[in-house]
Amino acid sequence: MRTVWFLIEKEVRQLRRNRTLLALLLVAPIMQLVLLSFAANYEIKNLNLAVVDQDHSPAARRLLDKFQYTPYFRLVQVRPSSAAADQDLLSGRADLVLVFPPRFERDLVRGGQARVQLLVNALDNVKAGLASSYASSIVQAYQGEVRPATVAAAVGEVRGLEVVPAYWYNPLLNYKTFMVPGILVEIISLIVMMVTTLNIVREKEIGTIEQLNVTPIRKWQFILGKLLPFWVAGLYQFTIGLLLARFLFHVPMVGSVALLYGIMAVFLVVPLGLGLLISSASQTQQQALFVAFFFLIIFILLCGLFTPIEYMPAWARAFDRVNPLVYIIDIARRILLKGSTLRDVLQPVLTLLGMAVLVNALAVWRYRKTSG
Amino acid sequence: MKTAAIGPVIRCEKLTKRFGAFTAVDAISFAVAPGEIFGFLGANGAGKTTAMRMLCGLLGPTEGAASVAGFDVFTQAERIKQHIGYMSQKFSLYEDLTVRENIRFYGGIYGLKTAAIREKTDALLQRLGLEAERNTLVGSLPLGWKQKLAFSVALFHDPAVVFLDEPTGGVDPITRRQFWDLIYEAAARGVTVFITTHYMDEAEYCDRVSIMVDGKIEALDKPAGLKQQFGVSTMDEVFLHLARGAKNVE
Repeated sequence: MRTVWFLIEKEVRQLRRNRTLLALLLVAPIMQLVLLSFAANYEIKNLNLAVVDQDHSPAARRLLDKFQYTPYFRLVQVRPSSAAADQDLLSGRADLVLVFPPRFERDLVRGGQARVQLLVNALDNVKAGLASSYASSIVQAYQGEVRPATVAAAVGEVRGLEVVPAYWYNPLLNYKTFMVPGILVEIISLIVMMVTTLNIVREKEIGTIEQLNVTPIRKWQFILGKLLPFWVAGLYQFTIGLLLARFLFHVPMVGSVALLYGIMAVFLVVPLGLGLLISSASQTQQQALFVAFFFLIIFILLCGLFTPIEYMPAWARAFDRVNPLVYIIDIARRILLKGSTLRDVLQPVLTLLGMAVLVNALAVWRYRKTSG
Repeated sequence: MKTAAIGPVIRCEKLTKRFGAFTAVDAISFAVAPGEIFGFLGANGAGKTTAMRMLCGLLGPTEGAASVAGFDVFTQAERIKQHIGYMSQKFSLYEDLTVRENIRFYGGIYGLKTAAIREKTDALLQRLGLEAERNTLVGSLPLGWKQKLAFSVALFHDPAVVFLDEPTGGVDPITRRQFWDLIYEAAARGVTVFITTHYMDEAEYCDRVSIMVDGKIEALDKPAGLKQQFGVSTMDEVFLHLARGAKNVE
């Protein structure tokens, strides 16, 4: 262990003198967390709305007002015909077009079966989905309001089943509550993995590794000495990140933060070890960097933060069984938002522990003191 | 200076290294006695560095037999490492650590006690006249000083053998002379010095010199003996005489 300590001391000294790397380790993740968390917004406001009103009735006007009262829509054009509105969609002046057909009011009052048409620009399908669901809920609410109870009674219609959703664990559907823990572990993984990826191979490029390889240092001591300094850096980043999550983003922390810490300490060893494995198998920093990027991009894009894993094809879901980010994001959300205990998250924790052991065993095995 | 066996501190018997079809080191045999300064000469590409890397446990040999400090090169490479020092042709102390930090680091890796490290560091800096530079980053030292420091660090844990791979490349004649003073001091303390060089004046300083051509040792004797053998008056001529016949010259 004494040998490991000397290695750690050396790494820390080198780190202290490398201002850029130090800033990257200590400041960059905090900035990224703040910026990305504010930017990763699944709420859309000020959608541009064009209207084709072929009815010119008070009922149509009232529904249009309802659209304008929300922060989601902004009326940009009123067109006499669908053709003109199509041009608005094409040119990008409008995100969606609301068409009131002739006799909209009459149908509404008589049969309660009025129709409006919604044309949505679906180039961006997330935006389109949100636009149409916002619009639909406004229209439905309006329909419920104007349709006289007597009409419903007269036609003998049973009032339709209404689903009242109760959003547990994130009652306000606050996207930050959902995103911040995920973004935090993602950023930390990225940075610690890059740092270890570049570390060993850099010593190879400079030539200092050879001097180490003629010493009696053990392979596990070497890997451990390279891992521990950045493990501490990762936990530091996590500490700051949690403080920001709590006090800047008001992410609820229902469960045990100490438990999450302990699990994070285990998780961090996975990206750190993977970086060391790549680094000890690479000959140049450039090579190492590209290999690390290959893994990181897949891990990050498939981790479920941007596309729910349930929507992914079977092969991607199968891959995610070995994606450490999937486990830690899931665990972080469950502990913070739901108050899960160790027993609840034991399965994913054991999986992470297994990965940590495996990846680092491979790193020790792959690090060669003797070539040929 | 613990060695597991009395007798030669380095012994090679038909030591061979092949990379695919290419034989870099071709069945070399020699023995080096404790305290000897052994010159290992040869043109670029003759196989010197490959042979040295095998003896240091940095490269696995293909066949033959070899032992260093009493440990087998094939099976006990890691045991060898505790008993040797090594200085590569590529300068390899940490440029972003200070003189003192570099010494402390290597002392620690070799398992020296903290108090011993401190004491030996003071003595070493005094010997090198680097006391004022103890907290200077190694990267900002002149090359000659760096080389002397690297040599001293390679000897810091009192190894039985020190391997020097072209240690004086690129330094001025005065510094080279000073470097050789350090080598003589070490040899006088009983350290075996195994050195490769391209400077024929340095070859003259060695107790014995071997000359490698195309992976084979073509000549091995005291400098005076070699000159006599080839009927010439300088080591330069000995070297040229042998190296001219080489096939693998860079």
